Amino acid sequence: MKNRLRVLRAERGWSQADLAERLDVSRQSVNAIETGKFDPSLPLAFKLARLFETTIEGIFSDEIQG
Amino acid sequence: MERRIYSSAKYRYEDRVLFFIVPLFPVSFIIDILGFHYYHLHLTGILAYLCAFVFSLPILGFIFVFGLYLAEETDEYERALCVQSMLWGIGATLAVTTFWGSLEKFAQVPRLDVTWVQFLFLGVMGIALLVNRWRYR
Repeated sequence: MKNRLRVLRAERGWSQADLAERLDVSRQSVNAIETGKFDPSLPLAFKLARLFETTIEGIFSDEIQG
Repeated sequence: MERRIYSSAKYRYEDRVLFFIVPLFPVSFIIDILGFHYYHLHLTGILAYLCAFVFSLPILGFIFVFGLYLAEETDEYERALCVQSMLWGIGATLAVTTFWGSLEKFAQVPRLDVTWVQFLFLGVMGIALLVNRWRYR
């Protein structure tokens, strides 16, 4: 799954560790989601959407990450 | 600002393994080596059952502690890695023991002492955890 997490994070000047802390997950989790190696559950996707004040579709798209 | 490295569930899991499970392994091997290889005890009745239970306590305890960790872990990525690794351990154990069982039946290979199967499970699971972490790094 393709996502804009890196872009959204960079816009706010957050590191992976900053985002991980806000989500209450490990930095490795953020990295795995960002690189498309791990797809988050719906609750975590909602948490991300709320954090970035957007929709889930605003972060994730069902294209395969290249 | 101090950052957490692991979830609190992982710290609890490590404490439980370190303080409850790790000390059980020497106890279990002292029973095995002294009782059966050195003194050649032929236990019967309740004592035999008790020894069998104590010998299998480390792996039973580990499975319980690991289950507790999976239930408590709130980081779904960490949980997914652990579940995948455990599946590798279970799969490898099932595959090897089934194949060895067939060999015992048809090719008369030496009988496998199934008490050692726990190390196959733990070993494959540990390696799978390392490989998974490397894959998803």
